[in-house]
Amino acid sequence: MKLLSKLTLFITLSKLLIVVLFVLLLPSLVGYVSFQYSNYYLRQQKQKVLSEIKQNGIDYYLQGDSAYASYTMLKEEYISILPAENEMVRDTIETSKRVVGGDTLTYRILTHELTGAPKNYILEIGKTTSTIGEYNNLLQRFTLYILIGLIALSIVVDLIYTNILIRPLTKIVKTKLLNRKFPFKEPLSPIKTSTTDFQILDRSLIDLMEKIHEAFDKEREFTSNASHELMTPISILQSNVENLMMEEDISDEMQDKISAMMRTLNRLKKIVNSLLYISRIENDQFAKSDTVNVHELITEMMEELSYRLETKSIQFTNTVSKNVKIRQVNHDLFFQMLYNLVNNAIRYNKENGTITLSDQYIRGKRYRLFIIDSGAGIKPEEMGTIFNRFKKSGKADSEGYGLGLSIVKSITLFLGFEIKVSSEYGKGTVFSIEIPQEKVEI
Amino acid sequence: MKTLIIEDERSLAREIKLFLEKAFYLCDSAYNVAEAKKLMIDNEYDFILLDLGLPDGDGLELLDETKKMCPSASYIILTARGDLEDRIKGLDLGADDYLPKPFSLLELQSRMQAITRRKSGNNDPVMELGDFSIDLNKRTVYFEEKEIELSRKEFDLLSYMILHKNRPLTRLQLSEHIWGNFSDDDYDSNFIDVHIKNIRKKMSALAPVDWLQTLRGIGYKIKI
Repeated sequence: MKLLSKLTLFITLSKLLIVVLFVLLLPSLVGYVSFQYSNYYLRQQKQKVLSEIKQNGIDYYLQGDSAYASYTMLKEEYISILPAENEMVRDTIETSKRVVGGDTLTYRILTHELTGAPKNYILEIGKTTSTIGEYNNLLQRFTLYILIGLIALSIVVDLIYTNILIRPLTKIVKTKLLNRKFPFKEPLSPIKTSTTDFQILDRSLIDLMEKIHEAFDKEREFTSNASHELMTPISILQSNVENLMMEEDISDEMQDKISAMMRTLNRLKKIVNSLLYISRIENDQFAKSDTVNVHELITEMMEELSYRLETKSIQFTNTVSKNVKIRQVNHDLFFQMLYNLVNNAIRYNKENGTITLSDQYIRGKRYRLFIIDSGAGIKPEEMGTIFNRFKKSGKADSEGYGLGLSIVKSITLFLGFEIKVSSEYGKGTVFSIEIPQEKVEI
Repeated sequence: MKTLIIEDERSLAREIKLFLEKAFYLCDSAYNVAEAKKLMIDNEYDFILLDLGLPDGDGLELLDETKKMCPSASYIILTARGDLEDRIKGLDLGADDYLPKPFSLLELQSRMQAITRRKSGNNDPVMELGDFSIDLNKRTVYFEEKEIELSRKEFDLLSYMILHKNRPLTRLQLSEHIWGNFSDDDYDSNFIDVHIKNIRKKMSALAPVDWLQTLRGIGYKIKI
C-alpha cells in the first residue's frame, strides 16, 4: 500500500472515530450541560424573587393570602410560596412531579426556605423537564452538524496538505527508484522540497547512485584497459608458440606440450576477448540502427550451429513468426545474444534432446522470445548467479569459461531487453527475452 | 612478395618476420613511424602490416599518408585496440584488411593470400593434391574431371590446410579459422574431427588420401 493511501486512510478513520465517539457522548454531554444550565436558571430566578421580597416584603407576592402560586400559560414554569410545615426544608434542587393547573407534570424544582416573621415560607420554582429535553435535542443536532462540517473540512485540508507534503517523496520514488536501469547512466537532479528528511533521502540516493555509476565506470575502464594491455603480450606469445610448432625435428612429446600451451593460450585469449567484448558493449561502442527479422536471423545462425546439433542428434524447432522485425538494435549483438543462448542449449543438452525457439506477441503489451531446451537445467541455488562473470554450471573445466551468459546479459541491457530464466534441474531451461513494444514491428 | 612490418613490439615483429619468411615473403621491419617512412621511400612493398599504436605517431594517420606514397601496396592493420570505430576508419582509409590482436600467424598469412588472390583477379592455378585437383576460385575439388561435393566448411578447412601445407595445424587453429569469433575452444575442436572425417570419407572413396595426416593429440597436416 502506498504511503499516501495509508495516510489518507488513517486520517479519515481517525476523524470518523472522533465523530462516533462524540455522537455517543453527545446525549449525556448535552444532558449534563442543560441540567447545569437549568439549575443555574432556577437559581437566577430564585435570586430575582429574593431580591423582590427584600425590596417589597413577602406581601408583594402573598397579597394578604396565606400562599402564592403562579405559572406560565403553558405550564412550563411555575412559582409557589407556601407556608412552611414544621420540618426543616433544605435548599435543594430536585426533579419531581407536581400538579399544576390540573396537569401532573415532571419539573425540575428548586426549593428554598424563606425565613422571616411571622412564619417561615417555602419557595418553589419549577421548570418542566420536557422543555429542558427540547433544548437538548436542538443542541445535540446543532452541535453534530457543526462537528461534521468541521471534520469534513479538516479531512479535506489534511488530505491536501498530506498530498503536498508527500509529493516530493513520490517524485523521489518515481524518478530515482522506479524504472531505473543499472548502471544509472542518466544524470540525476535533486528534487525541490523544503522537508529536510526528503532532502537528505534524495541527496543520499543521488550520491549512492553516482557512487555506483562511478564504481561501474572504473570497473569498465579497468576491464577495457587491462584487456587491451593483455592483447599485445598474448599476441607475442601466440606467435612464439605458432613458430615453435613449425620447427622441424620436434619430438612428439614436444609437439604435445606445445599444443597444450596453445590451448591454454587460446583459453586466455578467449577470456580477454570476451571481457573486451563486454566492455565494448558497456561503453556503447555498438550502433543501434539495424532492423532484424528474427526468424531469418535464427535461420542464419543455425547455419553456423547445425553441425553441433547433428553431432548430438538434437531436434531443433524454430516457430518464431516470420514477419516479426525488431528495430533499433545491433544485428551483430542480436545475433551473438541468440547464438550464445542456443549454443548453451546445445552444449548442456542430452543426446536426442530438443531445442525450441518460439515467440509470443500480445498486441500493445509485449513481445517475447523463448529459447527452450531439454538439457541439464540449472540448480535452484545457481539461478541467481548464472549471468555473473566466471560462473558456470559445475561442469568439466574445458567447457567454456562462464562468460557466454554475461555477454548475453550485457547485450540485453544494452539493447533494452529484459531476460528471464526458469529451469527445472535435470529437465531443461527456458530463457525468455522481453523486447519493448516500440522496437517491435509486425 | 615484399612485406613491411610496422610494429613497435620488437619480439612480435620478429615472430611475424620469421613466420612470413618461411612462407617465402621478403620482410623488413620498422618499429616506429619515422623508420617506416624512411623504408617506404627507398623500397616498394607488396604488403604493409601496420600496427596502430606506434610510439611516435598514430597508425591511422600514417596509413593516410603512406597510401599516397605506396599506393600499390596492400595494407593490413594489426591492432590491439580493436575498436569498431578504428576498424571502420582503417578500412575507410583504404586498408585491405584488419586483424585484431591477438591473431594467429596462420590467419595473417591466409588473409594476405586472399588479398593477393583478389588483387590478381582470382587467377590461382588449379592445385594438385594427390590424385585430386582443387580449384580455389571455383571452390571445387575434382577427381579426374569428376566434382566432389564438399560442404562450405569442409572446403574452407581443406583450402586452409592446403595453404599451410606441410605444417602441423592444431584443431584450435583450424576451428579459429572456420568459426572465427564464434569458435568455442575445445568444444569446437571436436567438430574439426567431424569435418575431417567427412572429407576423408568423401575423398577416400575415390583415391587414397594419405596426404591428409592425423597428428595424434594435436591436429592435422597435409603433406605433399
